[in-house]
Amino acid sequence: MKESYFLGIDIGSTTSKCILLNSQREIIGSSLVSAGTGTTGPQKAYEDILEKANLTAGDISFTVATGYGRIMFTEANDEMSELSCHAKGVHHIFPDVHTIIDIGGQDAKVISINDAGKVINFVMNDKCAAGTGRFLDVMATILQININDLEIHAREAVRPAKISSTCTVFAESEVISQLSSGENVNNIVAGICESVAGRVASLAKRVGIKEEICMSGGVAKNGGVRDAMSKSLGAKLQYSPKAQYMGALGAALFAYDKLNI
Amino acid sequence: MTKVNELLEQFHKVAVSPEEQLKSYLSQGRKVVACVPVYTPEELIHSMNLVPFGAWGAEIEVREAKKYFPAFICSILQTTLEMGITGKYDGISAIVIPSLCDSLKCLGENWKYGVPNIPFIPMTYPQNRNNDNGRAFTKAGYLRVIDDLEKITGKKFSEAELAKSNKVYNLHNQAMRRLSDVLVEYPWISASQRNDIFKSAYYMTKEEHTTLVNQLMDLLLEMPKETSNMKKIITTGIIADSRDLLTIIGENDMQIVGDDIAHESRQYRTDVNESKDALEGLADKFSRMDNCSVLYDVDKKRGDYIAEMAKRTGADGVVVVMTKFCDPEEFDYPIMKKKFDAAGIPSVLIEVDMQMNNYEQARTALQTFKDMLN
Amino acid sequence: MSEEVIKKPKYVEDPNSAKSKLNKITSDHYSNLWMAKEKGEMIGWCASNFPQEIFETLGLTVCYPENQAAAIAARGAGEKMCLISEGDGYSNDICAYARVSLAYAKIKDAPEQNMPQPDYLLCCNNICNTMIKWYENLSVELNIPLVLIDIPFNPDYNPSKAEVEYVKNQFLEAIKQLEKITGKTWSDEKFKEVMEISNRTSRAWLKATNFTKNTPSPLNGFDLLNHMAVAVCARGKIEAAEAFELLAEEYEKAVQEGTSTFRAEEKHRLMFEGIACWPHLRVTATELKSRGINMVATIYADAFGFIYDDLDGLIEAYCNVPNAMNLEHARDKRVAIAKNTKAEALLVHTNRSCKLWSGFMYEMSRQIGEACEIPVASFDGDQADPRNFSEAQYATRVQALTEIMESNKGGK
Repeated sequence: MKESYFLGIDIGSTTSKCILLNSQREIIGSSLVSAGTGTTGPQKAYEDILEKANLTAGDISFTVATGYGRIMFTEANDEMSELSCHAKGVHHIFPDVHTIIDIGGQDAKVISINDAGKVINFVMNDKCAAGTGRFLDVMATILQININDLEIHAREAVRPAKISSTCTVFAESEVISQLSSGENVNNIVAGICESVAGRVASLAKRVGIKEEICMSGGVAKNGGVRDAMSKSLGAKLQYSPKAQYMGALGAALFAYDKLNI
Repeated sequence: MTKVNELLEQFHKVAVSPEEQLKSYLSQGRKVVACVPVYTPEELIHSMNLVPFGAWGAEIEVREAKKYFPAFICSILQTTLEMGITGKYDGISAIVIPSLCDSLKCLGENWKYGVPNIPFIPMTYPQNRNNDNGRAFTKAGYLRVIDDLEKITGKKFSEAELAKSNKVYNLHNQAMRRLSDVLVEYPWISASQRNDIFKSAYYMTKEEHTTLVNQLMDLLLEMPKETSNMKKIITTGIIADSRDLLTIIGENDMQIVGDDIAHESRQYRTDVNESKDALEGLADKFSRMDNCSVLYDVDKKRGDYIAEMAKRTGADGVVVVMTKFCDPEEFDYPIMKKKFDAAGIPSVLIEVDMQMNNYEQARTALQTFKDMLN
Repeated sequence: MSEEVIKKPKYVEDPNSAKSKLNKITSDHYSNLWMAKEKGEMIGWCASNFPQEIFETLGLTVCYPENQAAAIAARGAGEKMCLISEGDGYSNDICAYARVSLAYAKIKDAPEQNMPQPDYLLCCNNICNTMIKWYENLSVELNIPLVLIDIPFNPDYNPSKAEVEYVKNQFLEAIKQLEKITGKTWSDEKFKEVMEISNRTSRAWLKATNFTKNTPSPLNGFDLLNHMAVAVCARGKIEAAEAFELLAEEYEKAVQEGTSTFRAEEKHRLMFEGIACWPHLRVTATELKSRGINMVATIYADAFGFIYDDLDGLIEAYCNVPNAMNLEHARDKRVAIAKNTKAEALLVHTNRSCKLWSGFMYEMSRQIGEACEIPVASFDGDQADPRNFSEAQYATRVQALTEIMESNKGGK
């Protein structure tokens, strides 16, 4: 019998991610392109994963899209919200996790799941960008450091600077004045990470923290934010280096379910 | 069926183009008075042969109003002022602004300078309202509105005419309450269409609107009732008329089976007791109003009220449509949420304002909420 | 730069000074609360503009969540407390005093300023309707009774007869409610006495604050923000009247001797509009002082001076607090203050917490600026949430105002 394949694609605001499963629900491929919705990124990520697996679109039994660009992606058979997909993906990797903190480029979300991995409650950030990946991008630009290096700087900090503004514009001016008063960059970076963590932690408290806790989404890669979050919540966090793929994984698992349940 | 669709289309046309309605009333030589939320004594205006016309903001860009309001005032009032400044209400005789929240107080003050060509008539309500002292103060507030209206429009007030208007409004209230229940049995009428019916009430005289609503219900009741797999929801908040949001509700197979929206059903819960003198009766009506974020309630019964509504209508969950920067609603939310949780009713918070051009977050939240309800 | 060229004779504080006495009244206020609580007396939490004559007459012990929130914010814990309320689902857009207070009602401990938990609540909305929502929630969360005196915003220049009647009836009803809640009894004689003392305190307070009209002013206007706590919480107490009378005497003497508590050369005179930006009080004050700007005018000082002859007058006074007035009345009051004190610029705190105070301030401050022919600038801030303020923005705006004031004086 011919092998079946299931694909999940997570099209975010800044990246596109794919995960491919076989009929045993094993991950047999992944792809990531640093370009999100409204670009050629999704298509590239999709083609890339097929090419690497030596498959064609016709070989895929079912495809589920998620993320901000999910509606526009025509190759998918169905679409699901990224919250459901993150929950599904994380539950698959960490079955004991009950709270997921997912910070993406546009949104911060906190998802509460039950033992079966079903979403039972969730909250999302308000309109303000201060607790999202975009905020980190803006700050990294001002500091002229690579977004991926934030973590290194944060861990070098001796005494995190206080960056407390809830408004991105104000936070920007706070950072600039810290810089001009000679504050150490590492301390500023740590302060920025704490600021994001603080915002999202209070969001998390709204749904009620139930351990274990896992961070997913692109910002989870940043150890500085993870450390600060762990401190804010007073709890240990689970983290997978594959954090960015949780949405795509969940989508792929949903694709599998569509044909197998 | 065609007739039903025609009626729905008629509601839709009025709901999406209030300016046409305004033009039409003005061209008939009628005098029009704008009525700002949350509760305006429309009966008084109606009884003086003036056309009450709802002013609940619009989905437009705010430019001129920024000269008066800081950014943290809700978009309903920002856009209402914007429309006044940019001439959208030209031809209107006066605007009645009740001061039930702090931002409404500011709208009145700013209106005097931003829109000097349309006189501002304040309506001051009591918060300690359900007693003789409160009713007397409400009545004094109404007398002041009457006085201003007489001076500005040259029309005369009479108790006899008000008694007639009270009746017209009672009939409309009854029709709207019944409508909300009847629509539950006809899930193919979308959230947008339901909103069209409620919204159009602000831009038509109540006699016309009642007639159309009753016609619609008569036609519907001749049709077979339907059950569906749609998720049943209750909406709560100040206003939920965004086309995008309503479309997303529909796309996610959700049916609104009841609402606690100020712009919708909250208006229609309380009738005038017609056995009282007309003006006394109107003041008495306000004194009995409740379960609303801008009306003082030491017991904060609103959460229970909505939970009860959910039970009665068999709703699966509650969608809280939060108008950004609305203090009264933002204070009520944590208390309501506790009540929903205690009653085991799933709920979701969607933050909206009239300047939103991106509803992706709302889409994601509602889609997840639907998954959650499954 | 901040060390000014001309040093005024240093103001030395002694234990018999008005400042010490005022500080003692504030600290006694809190220690008395704890003593009362220990004795098993009922404690009320009370809105700052609730007619204090009622509970002074009844002999009740109350404290003020607004004062507490300001103190907590000024001592650096505003953000911590706000985050607790936000974690409970409160939007960060609502009043930060309310967020601090609701957090305190929940965790019941804030080393920055503790006060006993309440047995009942006294609310009055003449400063804003947000008070109602805040106190409703306290009442539900703590499950204690709430007495509301509703004093609506007045769209006309003066309160109408109907409004005075409505408020007076509630005033009388509130007495009955409180007698029932606390078991205390009302005495008309005591009421008369309290009214007398309150008027005396108010007159002394207004007299003292009025000394800023002198050039140079014998006081740093920021002093008033501290002393105001007494005007709020002890208006009906004889010690307060005496301390304010002493304060006025001291200012009078300072005028004669040419001394001042403003420890820099007074180059410019400023009117400040809005509640203080408590979390950044030092920064906001220092920025002004370093430029030789003294704050000589604020409506806030007047807000707690209630002068009246009888019950109707008392009711009218509470209907006429600054935030219950229409734009024209509020503007005229400020124009009078600005002219009286010869303020040379108006600095407006656009306070994120306070929609009512900031919601028609753009227009009002334009009108004040025109009427007084003074420049106007505003800055974004908050009365208790430190996250809504930018030091750089503030500094730039103050500098711009200074430059205009200088050029108005012929480029000194």
